[in-house]
Formats: sequence, structure tokens, C-alpha cells
Amino acid sequence: MVLQNYVILDTGIPARVHFTDHVIEKRTVTDPRLGTPTTRNVLVFDVDRLNGKEVTAKYSIMAEKHAGQFEAYLSGQLYRGYDFIITKRGEGFRTNWTVEAIPIK
Amino acid sequence: MARKTQQVEVRMISEYLLSAYAEFPTIKAVPLGKVDESLMATQGYQRAIGIMRPYRPEVDAIVILPRYLILIEAKVWNVVNGLAKLPLYKSLLHFTPELEKYRGREILMELVVGWTNDNLEIMARDLGVKVVVYSPAWLEDIVAKQHNYWTAEYQRERQRKLQMRELLGLE
Repeated sequence: MVLQNYVILDTGIPARVHFTDHVIEKRTVTDPRLGTPTTRNVLVFDVDRLNGKEVTAKYSIMAEKHAGQFEAYLSGQLYRGYDFIITKRGEGFRTNWTVEAIPIK
Repeated sequence: MARKTQQVEVRMISEYLLSAYAEFPTIKAVPLGKVDESLMATQGYQRAIGIMRPYRPEVDAIVILPRYLILIEAKVWNVVNGLAKLPLYKSLLHFTPELEKYRGREILMELVVGWTNDNLEIMARDLGVKVVVYSPAWLEDIVAKQHNYWTAEYQRERQRKLQMRELLGLE
């Protein structure tokens, strides 16, 4: 689903995406438990294909665990050579992501 | 500490897959095993997979080769746990609905570690698991800390840090 130019994953539904660029942004978010603002690094990808359709959208990752799944692809923008099928599973702190990397021939 | 462990291993597996299998499809964090058929019939495929999530173990990665599937666990700490899991995970592969299209391929197993030793190699050989040492510079420091953990010097320094934290009210 693309909502306001952001790709939002539905739990359990795989999404096939292609990334063209990325940036690491600092973003201020509110801690859900304490209600206080905190600054976090967010990995943001530009998405040009979503489930086979051309889009102009962003995929934003705040979870360190999920960002770590892409860390090795950031150098030299290696992610451009892959399609990724991402499946979000679980909710809250127990959220996990299955990430399939498919080289583009 | 547990959370830190996971992030190190996530980075490790991600880098290793790219360095060793960049040309092949890979899947990270793959749930394994059966999904209850009656649940699938009543709830639908995707929802049933979601409901079953807590009851399905997860392998760090799978590499899809033309004739093989490689099951991979990456471990910095608890390396024997990683080794022991692989043959058990292998037994679940053929029951995993998400991997149905890859059935018929031979299964290989790899344990990716920051360091190895003779006993680990002996156990791995017996289980049919290949041990791969992946130790980039950023991981060497972590491995060195692990090796020093039980030395008197490390424990003294750790104790000092813990006391300082308590003194400063950081705990």
C-alpha cells in the first residue's frame, strides 16, 4: 500500500520493492511509553517499483534490526541491483521482517 | 545485551550473504515448519501464517541455488546453539509452505561464525554442517571481547564499570 508517498507494509503480506537511492535522516519521535521526544536515525529508501508497478515513494525504516538487513547493500548503492520482497510479521517490539533479495538479471 | 547480540548477527549475515552469494536469491529471517491446515482452511493462507508465527522457528537465512538450498545460521555468541539448530531446521524445510516451490533441491547447511575451534569443526562435520569463518574488522573487536570475557582483567574492569554506573545512577 502506498500512503502519502510512503510504502506501508501490511502484516503478513509480502511487498516486492526496488530501491534507487537512500538517505539516513535524523527524526524526532515521541517515545510511546514516556511520552517524551527522542531523536532516532531513520533509513529512508526511494522506491521506484512496488509489486511490479512504477511508483514514486519512500520506504522508511526505524527499527535497527530491519535496517541491519539492508546495511550491507548501502555501500555503493548495491541495492539497485536487487528486488526485495519484504514481509512484515508480528507487531510492536516483536515485529520481524523476512527479506528476500533477488538479483536483477 | 540480548538486543545487541541480535543486531551484530543481523549485520553479520547480511554482509556474509552479499560477499558469498551476491548473484543468487537469498531470504533472511525465514520462518520454518508446518502451518495448520485447518487454520489455513478457516482463516486463509496469510492469516494462518500470521497466527502460527510464535510456533515456527526462524532460520537466519536461506540461499537459493539452482540445485541446492543452503540453510545458514550466523553466530557470534552461543555458536554451538547455532550449530545444533541447523539439522533441526533442515527437518522442517519440507513442511514449510512458503518454500514449497523449492522442494526437490538438495539441502546444505552453513554455520557462519566469527571464529572457530577444533571441537566446533568436529561437531559440525558430524552433523554435515560447513563452518564458515566470517570476521571483518568490526567483528574482530567483538570476538576479542568475547574471548577475554572470563579473564580476571576483563572481570575486574567490568566490575569497576558496573560500580561506576551504580554510583552515577545509570542503572
